[in-house]
Amino acid sequence: MSAQKKRNFQIEAFKHRVVVDPKYAEKTWKILEHAIHEIYNHNASGLSFEELYRNAYNMVLHKFGEKLYSGLVNTMSFHLKEISKGIEAAQGELFLVELNRKWADHNKALQMIRDILMYMDRTFIPSTHKTPVHELGLNLWRDVVIHSSKTQTRLRDTLLELVHMERSGEVINRGLMRNIIKMLMDLGSSVYQEDFEKHFLDVSADFYRLESQQFIESCDCGDYLKKAERRLNEEIERVSHYLDARSEPKITSVVEKEMIESHMQRLVHMENSGLVNMFVDDKYEDLGRMYNLFRRVPNGLSIVRDVMTSYIRDTGKQLVTDPDRIKDPVDYVQRLLDLKDKYDKVISLAFNNDKTFQNALNSSFEYFINLNARSPEFISLFVDDKLRRGLRGVSEEDIEIVLDKVMMLFRYLQEKDVFEKYYKQHLAKRLLSGKTVSDDAERSLIVKLKTECGYQFTSKLEGMFTDMKTSQDTMQGFYARFGAELGEGPTLVVQVLTTGSWPTQASTTCNLPPEILGICEKFKSYYLGTHTGRRLSWQTNMGSADLKATFGKGQKHELNVSTYQMCVLMLFNNADRLSYRDIEQATEIPAVDLKRCLQSLACVKGRNVLRKEPMSKDIAEDDAFFFNDKFTSKLYKVKIGTVVAQRETEPENQETRQRVEEDRKPQIEAAIVRIMKARRVLDHNNIVTEVTKQLQSRFLPNPVVIKKRIESLIEREFLERDKEDRKLYRYLA
Amino acid sequence: MKKEDTVKLISAEGFEFVIHKDAAMVSQTIRNMLTSPGNFAESQHREVTFPEISTTILEKICQYFHWNLQFASGKETEFPIEPELTLELMMAANYLHT
Repeated sequence: MSAQKKRNFQIEAFKHRVVVDPKYAEKTWKILEHAIHEIYNHNASGLSFEELYRNAYNMVLHKFGEKLYSGLVNTMSFHLKEISKGIEAAQGELFLVELNRKWADHNKALQMIRDILMYMDRTFIPSTHKTPVHELGLNLWRDVVIHSSKTQTRLRDTLLELVHMERSGEVINRGLMRNIIKMLMDLGSSVYQEDFEKHFLDVSADFYRLESQQFIESCDCGDYLKKAERRLNEEIERVSHYLDARSEPKITSVVEKEMIESHMQRLVHMENSGLVNMFVDDKYEDLGRMYNLFRRVPNGLSIVRDVMTSYIRDTGKQLVTDPDRIKDPVDYVQRLLDLKDKYDKVISLAFNNDKTFQNALNSSFEYFINLNARSPEFISLFVDDKLRRGLRGVSEEDIEIVLDKVMMLFRYLQEKDVFEKYYKQHLAKRLLSGKTVSDDAERSLIVKLKTECGYQFTSKLEGMFTDMKTSQDTMQGFYARFGAELGEGPTLVVQVLTTGSWPTQASTTCNLPPEILGICEKFKSYYLGTHTGRRLSWQTNMGSADLKATFGKGQKHELNVSTYQMCVLMLFNNADRLSYRDIEQATEIPAVDLKRCLQSLACVKGRNVLRKEPMSKDIAEDDAFFFNDKFTSKLYKVKIGTVVAQRETEPENQETRQRVEEDRKPQIEAAIVRIMKARRVLDHNNIVTEVTKQLQSRFLPNPVVIKKRIESLIEREFLERDKEDRKLYRYLA
Repeated sequence: MKKEDTVKLISAEGFEFVIHKDAAMVSQTIRNMLTSPGNFAESQHREVTFPEISTTILEKICQYFHWNLQFASGKETEFPIEPELTLELMMAANYLHT
């Protein structure tokens, strides 16, 4: 059969092409129009898709596309007008329900119409640049139904009313709401924005302006923030339930603006419940809430930060300038640490570890710690206290924690060299008296200081440790050689200290008792014999001694005393009564030290191995001293401390200051020379800034001092002034 | 093949082709007929009459539907088209949006 067909092959015109029935288009359209009516009347079940499709197809094919399209527009518009009337007639709450139902119907009808007119959608519409059927249906719905004069405002008001009801705590039909909003979004984002979102935002702004006003009048800060947070979450939740996701930033910014931004200052400074009170009462939750809310608005955090900074500065300033605090350095530093801990906790718990807040905290501490010039001394004293006794029996990790905290305070110090000075003194005392709790802790702190300030800063401190070690070896060598020869005599322990590494004071030596003097001389000759070219001098003010003493009723005690005290007590081996002047003459101890040491021997209860006449608290120059036969103590070993002021007295403090100033001079000069060597020519102001920058890690040089140093360097011909410009300095190689 | 999964295509001359729904849905037009939301007669009875498509062409079309499915699943073979059918087949293809 196919072979036959092949033979008869010829091209025929398609038969429908020839049919040019003038009424054809009209007739076909009638069929389609009827179908559309049926579809809108939910009567489509009897219709044949194929027939409708074929009719539409043929209309387009026979160039009646235009008629088909305009017919569609007209028919659809007609139906939508009907629908619109129905919706307008709906009463009260039924309005939205009806609208929603009709919208669903329309969508379904539209889908069907598009399907049967698919061919037109595919070919006719793109070639004539008309709106595709689906979009056309939406546009018509928008123009005819939504934008009808009666519906437009009614719809908007109804929606806004529902939102308002929900804000007031009533339950609304969220599903319906979502459908309607979805409809507006389907009609194009501009419809949603124009017909709903814009008004929604306006109404919300009014609502929250009013509400925040009421809240702020009636609530304290914490409650207000709670309410604001809840409102904010409600809005976010509302968006997720039935609004366009893109509305979220808009509505939240409205809430933020009305509820937070306009009341920020007032909230932060609110009496009895503002930011400062939150700090005082450790209200981490409220603080966190404030942080999270204020973070949302511009400048919000900077307000919080400023208030925090000024409050920390104030409390810190009070702390460091309070005369009561200054009496107890350990407590003073402990309080600083507590303060730091408190705000660290606030920042980590409530402020999300915000870097800017940490910086603010640091700068505040730096500010007020340096307000008190004695902070370096006190910090060193704190360390001293911890390393003497505070850390006994504490695990290594805890020691590290304490030391790290101290280092943190140290970092805030501007006058790090002052700290070094004191630290050196205190370390020396600890090392010489062997009172340090843990060598590891000492070394660990030195390492920390080294990482912080460099080798130069700690070289002398390390030198002290080396001296201690070498001295031990020396003493072993000494006793290995002379041990047998010395026999029963007193045992001598010498620590050989390198001058310069130790904070030695040029002290007048006292007269040592003859028993000691012998062995001292022996050691001296031994030491100088092994180390030629050195000089030994005795620092009698720094030593200590253990004495065995027998009292009146035969009670034996071992007395742990300082070298000076030892000298005094040894005198009583040969006499029972000595006057102050006798003692002074025999020992040649400086008057201040002698008084101090006599006071500790005679006036402290439970330690009074000497008796004084007349009985009084202070030592006068015409007092007389007796060996106290009646001395008793429960302990075999009695430690007689020297009455030393832990804190420096005012004159001592002045002295240390002066020495620090002296020490700074060469450092400043060195810095100037270093800078000038590199720059050759520089003007005065630039030198000052550069020197300040270089020395910042150690101390803050005073510009006046820098100027003096420059002058001194000019005198010594390291620098000269430029001949034309007197402000310029030149480096002379 | 279950009855629900089949669809009956009827040519101009009244010949009936029963093919699988998936095959028929290769044609976008038929797909719309069967899936359009309103209950059109076609989706109710699962039969479609094409008064403008001859049996020969409809047969070829059904063959093509199956060939298309196979092709889509990776079995690449030739689909022979007799030259004398070409024109009508193209017309039908346009109509069926295949």
